[in-house]
Amino acid sequence: MADASITRLNAEALAPQVSEWRRAWRSLLKARWPILGLVILGIMAFLSVFGPAIAPRDPNRQTLVERLLPPMQTDAEGQVKYPLGTDGMGRDLLSRMIYGARISLLVGFAAVAIGGLLGITLGIVAGFLGGYVDDIIMRVADIQLAFHFILLTIMVLVVLGAGIGNLVIVLGVGQWVTYARIARGQTISIRAKEYVEAARSMGATSREIIWRAILPNIMSPLIVIASFNVASVILAEASLSYLGLGVPEDIPTWGKILAESRDQLLAGKWWLAVFPGIAIMLTVLSLNILGDWLRDFLDPRLRGSRS
Amino acid sequence: MLHKSRLALLGAVMSLLIVVIPSLAQSPDDTTLVIAQSVDVGGLEPSVVGSRAEANIFGHMFGTLYEITEDGSINPYLAQSYTVSEDGTEWSFTLNEGLTCHDGAPLTADDVVYTFQRAADPANAFTGNTVGFVMPSVGYVDARVDSDLVATIITSRYQSIGLGLLAEVYIHCRESYEGKSLEEAAQNPVGSGPYRFVEWVPDDYVLIERVEGFNLTPANFERIYWRVIPEASTRVAELIAGNVDIIANVPADQIPAIDASGGATVKAVQGTRRMYVGFQFSEEFADSPGWDAIQNRDVRVALQYAIDVPTICVTLLGTECERASSMVNPPNNNPNLTAYPYDPVRAGELLDAAGYPADANGVRFEITLMGPRGRYLNDANVVQAIAQYLTDVGVVTTVDIRDWSSDYVPLVRQKQVGPLFFLGTGGGTWNALYDMADLSAPDAGTNYTNWQNEEWFTLWNSLGGIREPEAEREVINQMLEIFYNDPPWLLLYFQPDFYGVSNRIDWQPRRDEKLIVKAATLSQ
Repeated sequence: MADASITRLNAEALAPQVSEWRRAWRSLLKARWPILGLVILGIMAFLSVFGPAIAPRDPNRQTLVERLLPPMQTDAEGQVKYPLGTDGMGRDLLSRMIYGARISLLVGFAAVAIGGLLGITLGIVAGFLGGYVDDIIMRVADIQLAFHFILLTIMVLVVLGAGIGNLVIVLGVGQWVTYARIARGQTISIRAKEYVEAARSMGATSREIIWRAILPNIMSPLIVIASFNVASVILAEASLSYLGLGVPEDIPTWGKILAESRDQLLAGKWWLAVFPGIAIMLTVLSLNILGDWLRDFLDPRLRGSRS
Repeated sequence: MLHKSRLALLGAVMSLLIVVIPSLAQSPDDTTLVIAQSVDVGGLEPSVVGSRAEANIFGHMFGTLYEITEDGSINPYLAQSYTVSEDGTEWSFTLNEGLTCHDGAPLTADDVVYTFQRAADPANAFTGNTVGFVMPSVGYVDARVDSDLVATIITSRYQSIGLGLLAEVYIHCRESYEGKSLEEAAQNPVGSGPYRFVEWVPDDYVLIERVEGFNLTPANFERIYWRVIPEASTRVAELIAGNVDIIANVPADQIPAIDASGGATVKAVQGTRRMYVGFQFSEEFADSPGWDAIQNRDVRVALQYAIDVPTICVTLLGTECERASSMVNPPNNNPNLTAYPYDPVRAGELLDAAGYPADANGVRFEITLMGPRGRYLNDANVVQAIAQYLTDVGVVTTVDIRDWSSDYVPLVRQKQVGPLFFLGTGGGTWNALYDMADLSAPDAGTNYTNWQNEEWFTLWNSLGGIREPEAEREVINQMLEIFYNDPPWLLLYFQPDFYGVSNRIDWQPRRDEKLIVKAATLSQ
């Protein structure tokens, strides 16, 4: 009896999803800017996945005698060997940028996945169970919030050591509080809804209620938060790499390329800062535009006004 | 109400910023000299000076018995004269009269003895130049007071460089230091030189001020700020902005920007610091990949051919340089030795012959190269370039760059760097043995590679009995040949030094990297 009701609820919930995709597409076409964001992110994702096949050169291959060549410089045969120029070690900037996209996006999405998974789980548990479990989880969240995120990250990285794995974990764990607080609030709100009470009275277990009634209904704000969060994590990775606490020397990231440009800015080697700066800006901007659109799209109060 | 309090808070913050920001960015006045170094001091204990940045500051706060000038002559300083016993093991110094330490305590022979005995006291567990380099190099045994003004340093053997080495010990007063804990002493140094300590703000600056009445050396500026600015580009920007008078380690790429600024110029000098990659012999590294390989003498010789030092100099250091043929600065090196040329094919052949052929992927073995960031000229980039050259001959090298002060220095002092590590040690041109004294004993503090070549150390000990320069030279050449054929170092270059100097200052840099500004003046 209980299973049948929940199945029916799910069927009802699923039914409009087909038209939701269509509505989303229409909304995207109408808003326009998010499409540009999607295209840019698509390009970045493509570079991340197929970077090794696309990059013209080994990003770490140094040719000291060809260091600091400006973009589009032609060689004796009139060929452009390095479209974006070379860095202070004679490495191809284009190849480093392509490989950098992989690390920056990987760190951004992986950290948000870790933070999201941890935060949503703890938030739902806190909101659903309440009582001392809620108190403990939320006090831990408060303690973490008392520390500045970047300072906390630096401290942990100094202890654990730099490296992609550690970086992703630290950045991910640093994000959980945001998700937990939203998930908890939403869970408390939904837990009191009549259809949840109905499901419970019909014998649905807590696990079933969380999975089938609560989780699907709290995801909208969390997805929006995640889209903004990826952007902020990418910026955090760039900041940490800039400070020399990101990934190892032989792994190029946009933040690190930017950091390496510091000593060359006064010497007028603009391309070393401009290209990674543009890449970071475009990615973050795209994610923010998409986040904005998602927020509006998923907000039922704005339905019909912008879609 | 809340609104008003917020406005008040905002006003207070803005007022604070208005007061603080200009003071941070203020140009120095005519009585103040501001110097920017790339690294901070690790502490202010005169017996634990371990880096050039520290020695530069201590050299102004503390007097030494004698001092070495740039041309290599060794002149009286706190001491007015010295004698050496017939067997060469006792160095007696006669102090100038009327000396005092900065707290007013009279500086006598007892204080000289106290300085040496305190440094050598195992209970203090000091490391650094005095204990790790000077004392083992001269074979320090003890010190005694002969009279109020005469102190004698007793050594186990004669060393022709004894006077120069003893001239590196910073003299301090018993009354100033006895009874203080090591922590207290390291925070509040009481010097004996032309400038007294005022303030140390870690990672920011050390401020010293002139001691009126100290007339053994000039001290033209009233105050000297030793600022810490790790980023080379920030140092350059501060110099151009007029906030700093002298900066060290100017990257070659930024020289044109300084010269074009109109407010400062770059002064270049061929330095004496020996830059090398150390091969770590300590068995503590036995589990590290590649450690086994570098225990093989033939591998170490092969790797000498793998590095294109002239190209590194021209591209990353901004100047042409000759590759070092030994650990000794020219012209004191062995003239019969030729620097290893860049010949990657030869390197490959020697590695093949040594039993390290390349596999299908071109890999012979893997190894890690550690190096610092921010201490030496373009150091992190040089380390990466060396790693690339080694990788090119099949020795796949991973770089491990560490922060200089917080990470690298402690590891170096404990000889915990390796299996390959990039380092530079200060040198001089006044005596070959001074450069060779890094390896004065297998357990010397500066034998960072833990090299144990018996022949070398036997010959070093034999130098103790030699008083004739020609005979000494013969042994030196023999030792340098041993070093060349069984190298503990991958020899690189003598670091060129670039100083950015404000046009308001008249100051000339020295070759030995000592940043001594006592005689600096305002430009006319």
